[in-house]
Amino acid sequence: MSGAYLPGPAASPTPFPFRARAALTPSPVPPPHRSPEKGPGMKTLRLMTVGGVIAYRALFNWTTPGMFIGTLLVGPLFQLLFFAYLGRQLQVADDRFYIVGNAVLTASLACVFGGTMAVANERRYGTLGHVLLSPRSRTAVFWGRVLPYAGNGLLIAVVTLTAGALLLGLRIPVSALPGLLLVMAAGSLACGFFGLTLGALGLRFRDVWVISNVSVALLLLLTGVNVPASGLPGWMVAVGEWLPITHAAEAARRLAAGDGLAAAAGPLGQELLVGAGYAVAAAALLKIFEFESRRTASLDVL
Amino acid sequence: MGSAYAIEAEELRRTYRARTGWLKPRRTEVEAVRGVTFTVGRGELFGLLGPNGAGKTTTIKMLNTLLIPTSGRARVCGHDVERETREVRRRIGYVFGGDRGLYDRLSALDNLRYFAELYAVPAREQKGRIAELLDLVGLAGRERERVEGYSRGMRQRLHIARGLLHSPDVLFLDEPSIGVDPVAARELRRTVADLASTGTTVLLTTHYMAEADELCDRIAVIADGCIQALGTPAELRRRAEGRRVVEVEAYGVPESAVDALRGLPGVRETAVEARGALQLLTVHSDAHVDVQSDVLRELAGIRLGRVDSREPTLEDAYVAIVSAAA
Amino acid sequence: MSTLRLLTVGTLLHVKQISRSPFEIAIALVVPVVQATLAVYLFRSSGEQHRLLEAAVGAGVMGVWSSVLFGSGGAIQGQRWQGTLEMIMLAPRRPVLVVLPITIATGLTGTYALLATLVWGRLLYGIRLDFAHPAAFVVAAVVCVVALGMFGLLLAATFVLMRNANALANTLEYPVWLVSGMLVPITVLPAWTTPIAAVLPTTWGARALREATSGGPVWPSLGICLGISLLCLVLGGFALTHVERRARAAATLALA
Repeated sequence: MSGAYLPGPAASPTPFPFRARAALTPSPVPPPHRSPEKGPGMKTLRLMTVGGVIAYRALFNWTTPGMFIGTLLVGPLFQLLFFAYLGRQLQVADDRFYIVGNAVLTASLACVFGGTMAVANERRYGTLGHVLLSPRSRTAVFWGRVLPYAGNGLLIAVVTLTAGALLLGLRIPVSALPGLLLVMAAGSLACGFFGLTLGALGLRFRDVWVISNVSVALLLLLTGVNVPASGLPGWMVAVGEWLPITHAAEAARRLAAGDGLAAAAGPLGQELLVGAGYAVAAAALLKIFEFESRRTASLDVL
Repeated sequence: MGSAYAIEAEELRRTYRARTGWLKPRRTEVEAVRGVTFTVGRGELFGLLGPNGAGKTTTIKMLNTLLIPTSGRARVCGHDVERETREVRRRIGYVFGGDRGLYDRLSALDNLRYFAELYAVPAREQKGRIAELLDLVGLAGRERERVEGYSRGMRQRLHIARGLLHSPDVLFLDEPSIGVDPVAARELRRTVADLASTGTTVLLTTHYMAEADELCDRIAVIADGCIQALGTPAELRRRAEGRRVVEVEAYGVPESAVDALRGLPGVRETAVEARGALQLLTVHSDAHVDVQSDVLRELAGIRLGRVDSREPTLEDAYVAIVSAAA
Repeated sequence: MSTLRLLTVGTLLHVKQISRSPFEIAIALVVPVVQATLAVYLFRSSGEQHRLLEAAVGAGVMGVWSSVLFGSGGAIQGQRWQGTLEMIMLAPRRPVLVVLPITIATGLTGTYALLATLVWGRLLYGIRLDFAHPAAFVVAAVVCVVALGMFGLLLAATFVLMRNANALANTLEYPVWLVSGMLVPITVLPAWTTPIAAVLPTTWGARALREATSGGPVWPSLGICLGISLLCLVLGGFALTHVERRARAAATLALA
């Protein structure tokens, strides 16, 4: 259950002052550098990591300390507490179900909004055209942008899980921790690519923030994190199978229950497959839209 | 009616403080206006003319109560702008250039109805007043369309209608013709002149010379936060009397050459204005000295374009005043 | 008289302005489906079939709070971005009369979410809309919305003083839902939250609406909700006067 997260003033159609501390005007792609000793693989890696981090600083407007702590750390914790207490009150499921599930889900917030901003803000600043003019692989450019958001999501999930478990007195076996970290990383990465897909779709919509706000709300419902799958109608469960977090949350719950990594391997694999699917989808959508915009001469509008 | 003047400003100063940086906050101070004194008579059309960043908007915002002066005092219709805000606001209208400041998703009519309420136009007068103003600014017939579909000129005219809703005694116009096409700008000047002729006091800021020349009874040239000259357009033009102006288009004039020009006998002022790759050199000299050949000699070896020698205009007077301040 | 007219015309026009935003409308119509669904399935899973209407109303009130929180919290900032803040502050009126219509408008547009939850509940889940006190429900809904608008004024006045008001708004959505017991009164919360709940107008507004839905004395809760909100209005009015003067001194009316 989520209302409208306002990612700063972006919800309003007027131009707005950003608080991002990085320089905003230059294209976030580093200039092609000529270092003969590095192979093409290294260069692409550099483009993905360095370019991704610069783009993150330029385009993600939640990086101010207040915004980061408030929106990405404290907010998700309250979300976890809300559902955990609701679960206790209505006796739908136990604490572990709510704490672990919601902690994994909180990774989605940074990823969904980050992915949207990665593409949409580029359009807002009018820098998208410059990025597309770069001779480098766009797929690498845009995939690289996902990495910082996924890292950010992972951090949030870890903090939320730790704080939630401490506040509500949930014991998690120490042996489960490495596995949990792995599962949450997989969930974050899948969410990052999901967010990038939404961002790509955002190129076709006037108000991209509707998409991100609605997606965040839908994830709350369809990933089975807050209503157990057994209580949801079959078609909702089926849709949830194709969303990020659903399988990661399942894997995390098994780990937290002390079932061991073997029991979690199945859903973990499914989560990674879902993530890979969105990575391909995002790349394909961006390619299609780029081609279309060159054909219809709408590059500057993009 | 209180004071004999519509606007009185005494030694107005305004400093902006800004904090930059988050980890190591640094305080910076900018003095935007440093001691401005002038008076505007009732019914006068007074111009504040100056380059960008000269302090025009800051001065206007201190006079219309949006900013509290750092020091100094000002009165509008005899009321102090710092303390008697409501009395001042009842009597003033404010119009600024640009296309923001309207409710985009509402129609022009809704915008005007809302501001009529806010500005305390009596309910039974609102309808007539709004129709009258829509007519005045030429938006009648299109008042039910949403503002988001308006052109820049239409928005500008709506701004003016809004500023006039409560028939203010004093109207502040802050660069109203910015970004407006020449035809619309001429219409705008006619509207402003009509208003002044019916007794409204107008304080206009602009950096268009011709606009100030055509409209204003008196002009204050403001640069660097201070008033550099004040008088009627004719008086200001006289400042450039007894001068001659040589204009040279040049490419890549070094600073040293400009300094050398300044040292020539008979030269009063020089100014350089960049126009893309081209630089426009303006050299003011005493009228009886012909400096053109000296100037060209100093610029030997530099690629030159058109060279022109002419009588000074109001614009030259303005350039002379502003560059003397710099 | 002229004050009342100003408040009415101002509120109606701000409702119009907000209602024409595709963003606001999409959020107000789509998010309630999710919220109603979540509430319905949670209640069904816990075997509380008979309380589904209460769940739908609760989810709707949550939507009203979101609208007031984001709308009012960002009211002044929003006007600043549109460039209209200077123009409305130039009105020869008390600042409270200028800003209150905006915050009440955010409460009123929040009712889209309430209505949408009820309609979706009826259409998708066949929840029968048999309120215990239908007339009292309507009165309570109107009073509750206006009261939250007054509370919103206090938010507007205090948020504008903070550099990170957006972050605070994003943070405060869930805790108020939780502590006010909007979806369901949470008896299992730690005891220290009780006094916080008691001073929040949202607690009493949600309670009044629940009582009108499933039976109970509506008016005492509604009265307390209105009382607290009026207090917020007075405090917010003073805060706004202070804010206006500060903004004129610090030159923050025009830019962010």
